[in-house]
Amino acid sequence: MTDLHPVDSKNSVFSTYPFNKVLFDEVFKEDGKIARHYLKVLKHFGKLSVEDYKKLDEFAKITFFNQGVTFAVYSDTLKGVERIFPFDLMPRIIPAAEWDHIERGVIQRNKAINLFLHDMYHERKIMKDGVVPADLVFTSNFYNREMIGVNPPGGIYTHICGTDLIRHKDGEYYVLEDNVRCPSGVSYVLSNRETMKKVFSNLFLSHDVKPIDDYPEQLLEMVKSVAPNGIDDPTCVVMSPGIYNSAYYEHSFLAQSMGIQLVEGRDLFVDKNFVYMKTIYGPQRVDVIYRRVDDDFIDPLVYKPDSYLGVPGIMGAYKAGNVTLINAPGTGAADDKAVYIYVPQIIRYYLNEEPILKNVHTYRCEIEEDFQYVMDNMKNLVVKPVDESGGYGILIGSKAKPEEIEKFKKVVAANRRKYIAQPIMSLSVHSTFIEEEEKFEQRHIDLRTFCLMGRNKQFVLKGGLSRVALTRGSLVVNSSQGGGSKDTWVLGE
Amino acid sequence: MLSRIANSLFWMGRYLERADQSARYIKVHYYSALDAPLASKQDFIFESILTMLGLDEEYKKTSKNYQAEKINNLIALDESNYVSIKSSVIYARENARGARDSISSELWGAINKFYHFVNGFTEKDMEKEGIYYFTDKVMENCSIVAGYIDNTLLHDETWSLIRLGIHLERASQTTRVMYSKVKDIQKIEKQKLGKSIESYHCVTMLKSVEAFDMSRIYYRAVPNIHDALEFLTLNKDFPKSISYNLNHINTNVNKISTLKNAESGTLEFEIGKMNAAFNFMTMEEIEADTLGFLENTLTQLYEMGKEIERKYMSY
Repeated sequence: MTDLHPVDSKNSVFSTYPFNKVLFDEVFKEDGKIARHYLKVLKHFGKLSVEDYKKLDEFAKITFFNQGVTFAVYSDTLKGVERIFPFDLMPRIIPAAEWDHIERGVIQRNKAINLFLHDMYHERKIMKDGVVPADLVFTSNFYNREMIGVNPPGGIYTHICGTDLIRHKDGEYYVLEDNVRCPSGVSYVLSNRETMKKVFSNLFLSHDVKPIDDYPEQLLEMVKSVAPNGIDDPTCVVMSPGIYNSAYYEHSFLAQSMGIQLVEGRDLFVDKNFVYMKTIYGPQRVDVIYRRVDDDFIDPLVYKPDSYLGVPGIMGAYKAGNVTLINAPGTGAADDKAVYIYVPQIIRYYLNEEPILKNVHTYRCEIEEDFQYVMDNMKNLVVKPVDESGGYGILIGSKAKPEEIEKFKKVVAANRRKYIAQPIMSLSVHSTFIEEEEKFEQRHIDLRTFCLMGRNKQFVLKGGLSRVALTRGSLVVNSSQGGGSKDTWVLGE
Repeated sequence: MLSRIANSLFWMGRYLERADQSARYIKVHYYSALDAPLASKQDFIFESILTMLGLDEEYKKTSKNYQAEKINNLIALDESNYVSIKSSVIYARENARGARDSISSELWGAINKFYHFVNGFTEKDMEKEGIYYFTDKVMENCSIVAGYIDNTLLHDETWSLIRLGIHLERASQTTRVMYSKVKDIQKIEKQKLGKSIESYHCVTMLKSVEAFDMSRIYYRAVPNIHDALEFLTLNKDFPKSISYNLNHINTNVNKISTLKNAESGTLEFEIGKMNAAFNFMTMEEIEADTLGFLENTLTQLYEMGKEIERKYMSY
């Protein structure tokens, strides 16, 4: 670890920068020099003292707080505790050529996954052709038997896809996962940009930053395009679990920016397989529902019977083709570590193309060759069970003691089909202001992209949510575990 | 417009008005008492404030004497007490949050800022800054929010529902203030304490609804109790009078309504009837039994509120 001095002034917030060149630093190249597309930004930040920076930071915080750009941490009182999603003022910049690669890759993946889902809920040709194992999807908790044989409008299941990417030591982008159930975070992307424009207006003038404020318009267009057949002017709504849900801000933001109604389950009812909302003038039919309620809670007649968040009979209306749900129920079957492994094959099978974005290489312990490799190299691998989430049952080889590794080897050997292994990925880092140290330091970062798929059109938000792990050395970027975010700039050239 | 949203907007209006009115009432009484012509003036004032908010019985259960600090915190900051100013602001904000996509960002920002101010105001702050500062800031914020309501929203059902809440609450509050003061004055008349005390109550009553200056301009004199009651009940131009507010309730209900001819028994009919009665009422009718009249008015307003909810907001 050496200290860089990117700026001469001793008073500057960038006077000292602890630099570990083993990590891929997005802002500084291996030799410690500033990457070309960050030159202007760094020059500007270099002129700020710690006090200057803190003032700007405070302004940003108050802006978020007053507008209610928060997420709730559940508590006992009526009010709950609201937190601002920590926001770092230094933008993450992606040059045009790099972005083009990402955008094409994300669209390709979304298309392939969508075709895969259709196949899984119909003829399952990909399984019959032996490209993926027969029980790959059926053993998923999210495979939704209600969806077998159902034909969503336009054949689209994954209307909104949040593909998460990281950048490895080799400078390449790798896909971590595809979130195709209810991907969230886009409201923070849009709010972050609004605040950045207020705080750093001159920087925007000197860069060709691609706009992101067309997202609501594109989203609405996509939502309307998948209305049930024959409906010219569809009534579209956003369905939320309500004000006590931690992501409520995003639900209301999306509804408001699209100019459509925000509803909760209790505002809707189903009559003769049509969905209606309860207005002051009586029932009004609803055609498309962008629902932010999970599959399990959406219909107490079909799924969890004690759910108050859903609408009894909504699945009946959906299957009858009288209402469209976004995303379609049952997409969770593709939002799964086991399926992730096969996405490159899935892309080849349905699209006849080579994958544009790379998967993290995954070893499947049920395959003899892979199993041997995993046994021989466990201390350099991350070993995970395919069917659990939340980080349970995982072994990080580099952090485990030899006894733990031996013990784990036995566990894996006893149930090979349950385990996969991946090389330990080294996420890229980005210069992030650390309050306690009063300077910028390297912190691990990822990128969540947002891809929309409507009838005959795909759209990717030009940017996304760059999430930062605020704890030194941590790879955990989730908001609930202390992560923050940065504005993401896609440049015009 | 969802019934649930209609409910949220209506109650947002009511809670905002309630916070405004409570703050004003407390401020006026607290400070006018400082040179009031009474022996144990403080106790009297506190009793008056607590009664107005319906908290007197409850307070007496917990304390023997009226202590300024304790009362200030109870009426202004106590969240477990649902008529405190803080509670009203919290409920207003939660209702606004639930209807967030129906209101403008400016309005939401103003309510949210207001909420954070009140929510972050501690008992220590109250000790340091005082009740005057707090109530003053509350009233200021209510005015800002009222400005955004009128100037940034489309004046369709959204706006009408909020205004229904505001006008209904305002009419109720004015009626309650009058009821409480008339009772106080009648008590004093029995004790034959003199004109100066009656005058004090009259002035305090007018100041509690910000009517003192305007009533002086209107009557070109310092109003006596008869004029004061007339001003607050029947004056069609004064924004806090019962008549003015009934008029606006009537207008807004008809804006939302889809009925062409309101028949007897409908909400539109009953409101129209009550409004018409006030338009042509005389002081003689009122003064025949002032307290009874005010009590009856309060009941009618209460029923009206229930009927509005039943018609538009049940879901």
